[in-house]
Amino acid sequence: MDFESLSGDLRRLKERALGEIAKVADPAALEQLQIQYLGKKGDLTAVLRGIGALPAEDRPRVGAVANEVDEAVRGALAERGTELRNVMQAQRLAAEQVDVTLPGRAVPRGTLHPIPETIAAIAEVFGQFGFVVYEGPEVEDDLTNFQMLNIALDHPARDLWDTLYVDIPGHLLRTHTSPGQIRVMQSTRPPIRALLPGRCFRYEAVDASHGFEFFQVEGLMVDEGTSMADLKGLLDEFAHALFGPRKTRFRPGYYPFTEPSVAFDVECVVCGGVGCPACSKSGWMTILGAGMVHPVVLQYGGIDPERYQGFAFGMGVERISNLRHAVPDLRYYLENDLRFLEQFR
Amino acid sequence: MRVPLSWLREYVDVELSPEQLAERLTLLGMEVQAIEQWGADWRSVVVGELLTVEKHPHADRLHLTTVSVGSGEPLHIVCGANNIAPGQRVPVALPGAVLPGGRRIERTEKMGIASEGMLCSGDELHITTDADGILILPPATPLGRDLSELYGDVVLDVDVKPNRGDALCLVGLAREVAAATGATVRWPEIAVEEAGEPVTDRLRVEIREPELCTRFVGRWVSGAKIGPSPDWVQMRLQAAGMRPINNVVDAANYVMLELGKPTHTFNGATVHDGTIIVRRALPGERLETLDHIERELTPDTLIIADPEGPIGIAGVMGGFDSEITDATTEIAIESAVFDPVSIRRTGHRYALRSEASLRFEKGQEARLARIGADRVAQLTVAWAGGSIARGRIDTAPTEPVSARLAFRPARVSKLLGASISVDEQRDLLRRVGVETEAAPTGTRIQVAVEPKALVVDAGSEEVLVAVVPTWRRDLAIEADVAEEIARVRGYETTPAHLPETLMPAYRPSPLTVREIVRGALAGAGLSEVVTHALVSPLDEARLLWPEDADEPALPAQLVAQSGVEIAVTNPLSAQHSVLRQHLAASLLDVLSLNERQGRPDVAIFEIGKRYAGVDGGPREWTRLGLLLSGAAEPASWNRTARQYDLDDAKGILELLCRRLGLPEPSYVPDTRGFPFHPGRALLARQEAGNEAVAGRLAELHPDALAEWDLRAQRVIVAEIAIAGLDVATPRRIHVEPIPRFPEVERDLAVIVAEARTAAEVEACIRSHGGNLLRRVRLFDLYRGAPLAATEKSLAYRLVFGAKDRTLTEADLDAVTAEVTRGLKQELGAHLRS
Ligand SMILES: [Zn+2]
Repeated sequence: MDFESLSGDLRRLKERALGEIAKVADPAALEQLQIQYLGKKGDLTAVLRGIGALPAEDRPRVGAVANEVDEAVRGALAERGTELRNVMQAQRLAAEQVDVTLPGRAVPRGTLHPIPETIAAIAEVFGQFGFVVYEGPEVEDDLTNFQMLNIALDHPARDLWDTLYVDIPGHLLRTHTSPGQIRVMQSTRPPIRALLPGRCFRYEAVDASHGFEFFQVEGLMVDEGTSMADLKGLLDEFAHALFGPRKTRFRPGYYPFTEPSVAFDVECVVCGGVGCPACSKSGWMTILGAGMVHPVVLQYGGIDPERYQGFAFGMGVERISNLRHAVPDLRYYLENDLRFLEQFR
Repeated sequence: MRVPLSWLREYVDVELSPEQLAERLTLLGMEVQAIEQWGADWRSVVVGELLTVEKHPHADRLHLTTVSVGSGEPLHIVCGANNIAPGQRVPVALPGAVLPGGRRIERTEKMGIASEGMLCSGDELHITTDADGILILPPATPLGRDLSELYGDVVLDVDVKPNRGDALCLVGLAREVAAATGATVRWPEIAVEEAGEPVTDRLRVEIREPELCTRFVGRWVSGAKIGPSPDWVQMRLQAAGMRPINNVVDAANYVMLELGKPTHTFNGATVHDGTIIVRRALPGERLETLDHIERELTPDTLIIADPEGPIGIAGVMGGFDSEITDATTEIAIESAVFDPVSIRRTGHRYALRSEASLRFEKGQEARLARIGADRVAQLTVAWAGGSIARGRIDTAPTEPVSARLAFRPARVSKLLGASISVDEQRDLLRRVGVETEAAPTGTRIQVAVEPKALVVDAGSEEVLVAVVPTWRRDLAIEADVAEEIARVRGYETTPAHLPETLMPAYRPSPLTVREIVRGALAGAGLSEVVTHALVSPLDEARLLWPEDADEPALPAQLVAQSGVEIAVTNPLSAQHSVLRQHLAASLLDVLSLNERQGRPDVAIFEIGKRYAGVDGGPREWTRLGLLLSGAAEPASWNRTARQYDLDDAKGILELLCRRLGLPEPSYVPDTRGFPFHPGRALLARQEAGNEAVAGRLAELHPDALAEWDLRAQRVIVAEIAIAGLDVATPRRIHVEPIPRFPEVERDLAVIVAEARTAAEVEACIRSHGGNLLRRVRLFDLYRGAPLAATEKSLAYRLVFGAKDRTLTEADLDAVTAEVTRGLKQELGAHLRS
């Protein structure tokens, strides 16, 4: 064995390796070649085993050649490896192409019912002005629902509330949220700013604009000097928050539990005040009733009407919702047809 | 109240257009709900003059007429009436005319003779009630004019509020018009020409219930001739919505609409002994009322009687036997004031509300008893002839005086939040007939009458006294004066500003927890519903959760105490006649409706109340109801469908617990069966002493689905109590420090008998895990080879950790050995290696 034959072996080994590396087509085979040529038991090691038989002066020269072969093979392996990875990635990406115009994977999403949503919207507005939420019972006693609100048993105004009675003596299904005024006044002291949402009941046949179950929100504010101007100011803010900037007005109303009593109108949300069938050509829509709390009611609430004065208002939740969402039929609310509910996604 | 403007103008000048007047009245509190063109349905009906009237050659009952309508050739019209003669002016419906009720008039042929239109009766035009004869118009009626121009009217429909009975009449509304426009009210001229014998010779009145009949004025008319009222009277009554009857009854109705005073006219000849007695009915007494219904009278009914028995229900309806008939000549006029409450109760008792009782209920000004009697007598003889007996019977001839009501102008301004000068306040009150005077020193103010009278000293504040007109029975306290001032001034002038007063203290909102729950559930794919609280007792009973004494105790504050169903005593329908005791029936109705609409995938929730009577009183609890049916994930192009099952309901409950910062619930089988699946029903609860959530979750029994006519294969319902749904409780999360030493995991596959529950296995692991065991999570459930058929394998991942060191293999081996020993000993379990 001499230097020439050994270096010749190395050069041939390099030629062979480079040839095979160039031809290899997959990373596993490439790895196999790496082991075959450069591994501990590989061909290069095998050739170099003959180095011990060389004269000492030739050994460094062979070493240099061996290094050059080793580098060339390593370089070729790395280069081919990169090439192969690029090709394969390009193939994978090409194969993975999708029709990006297909719809996405549906995330289940429920809906929120417009009645609680409207109550929440109302509470949000009045909450900003310090009104806190209370709730009163739906099975109410006759005294609180009527008499304490200045509607005595034989008051002609009782006809305004067709009542459903229950088989518990002295009780009925509350006809409005107004008895909550009494309960709030009895449970706290002025200053009072209270909001009372809830379900109410009336003896009323069901049609597109009537139902025997419906929802109201009552408001109550009592303090020294709380005036009708405060009421108007707050209701203006409320109307603007829910319906955008538009004209509002008070006109006289009648409730036994407020004196004076008013109806609160906003400019028609359909026609903007010009007059249309929705507003009976008046240009106005009534959104709630209100007034200054009657001294009888204050007294039943345990509040001195000489020292304190206040206002109350009450609105139909469905009415507010109808105006906001153009719901054509009151029956939609309690029927819960998904084709209605899903529009509130 | 229907107000024909032509009639209203008799009492007040109206310069405004109907629309302007309606707006002014509405802003004054007399809400005009509709403006109606009365007579607008007479189209192409004109005034004609009969030129000739001849017999029809082929029909005895028909006439051939020629009629001039002013221009063009005379028309040939065939007519069946007998009251026509040449020279009369009559309404002519031209071909193409449309009459009230939609009847169309065309050129026709009647028994071989062409007819170019129709002569109209008062009934055909809805002007009078005469259907037999042609309406004969006054001779001066202009020829050819449209009838609607001559007789058409504008009718305002005014919603008079219950406290303003004084405005339920034309004079009353004229007063409101005057307040709005500054015009003056003209009272009708009431003049009674008396003749002949004194009334006391014909009529005696005995009041046995002076509390219930505070004034009775009687008059007598002799020699009247009953017949139709003049056409103009019938037209006014018709326009006001009242059907003309005869000249005497019409006189009473006319006065009711004009003055707001209901009166009654009796056939005098039928009043025995000429004696009218106002008393309570005796037990067993009966009366046939004007509507031909024989009524049994109760002793709490105030009646008008003669010595033989009842002749009328006071203030509500007269008796049939004493009705004015065509043969009547003697007329007894009753003009009384009755107790409003008594009349109202009577009306309710007999389900009988008349225009008269409606007015009596609202209270009557005593003065009107006298005025009404005079006016009815006056109009009766004007329209029916006869003579009025001298004098009147009057049981309380002293006229009432005006009430005096002290008020503080400064308080009025303070209540309204507007600075209104004293002079302006006085002017405004004057416009509604309320004069004001300076108050004598020491005058006290009536702030409230009920529930306890509150009268205060004015101190240094200026005080005025309002002199309240007798008809304004609604003005009693200072705030009432403020309302008059505000409405006459116009509420549109109310200033608006935000309150500057103190804010109330913080209070947790009952909506807070509900908002969290609603948001979480909507995010989880459920749709919120709001259903009826009133349900059918049958549906309710079909789904009532079986009560069982052995039920594992749920915390009392969360679970309904067993109570009794609350029923409505006057329900609208059986379908909605009891208050629900659970939400499930309502939710099933929603499922049923949507299934019928072809929407079987229904995942819904409701936060609503359940109700029950407890210890004789009502109780209400706010609950979360869930219903899951159909596909949880509907099939799509990129996935297959997955159907809802009980695990989804549990998952939702667990989600809510996490969202609310509450410990997760544990589950206890509920095997009581129908209406629920005996193997798929459970109670969810939390550790004793720390309960914030409790619920019942179950799949419905297939037979129950069939009972409800549901198509769904599986329906899961749940009713969950959550602390905070009624009143929010502040939630606090305590943060554990992030562990300094790593946690280590061990997996255990526990093989147990089928009958053992996962809850039992997990509880056993926890109880033997010691204080190093931090979490336990089931990650696999396996049945099949090599396990025996009676066995299953539950694989748990146990997470261990210590605060002060890294755990060693020896630590884990010791704990695992203890857990294994416990499982074997307590549950007969062994580990799968
Ligand atoms: Zn409009």
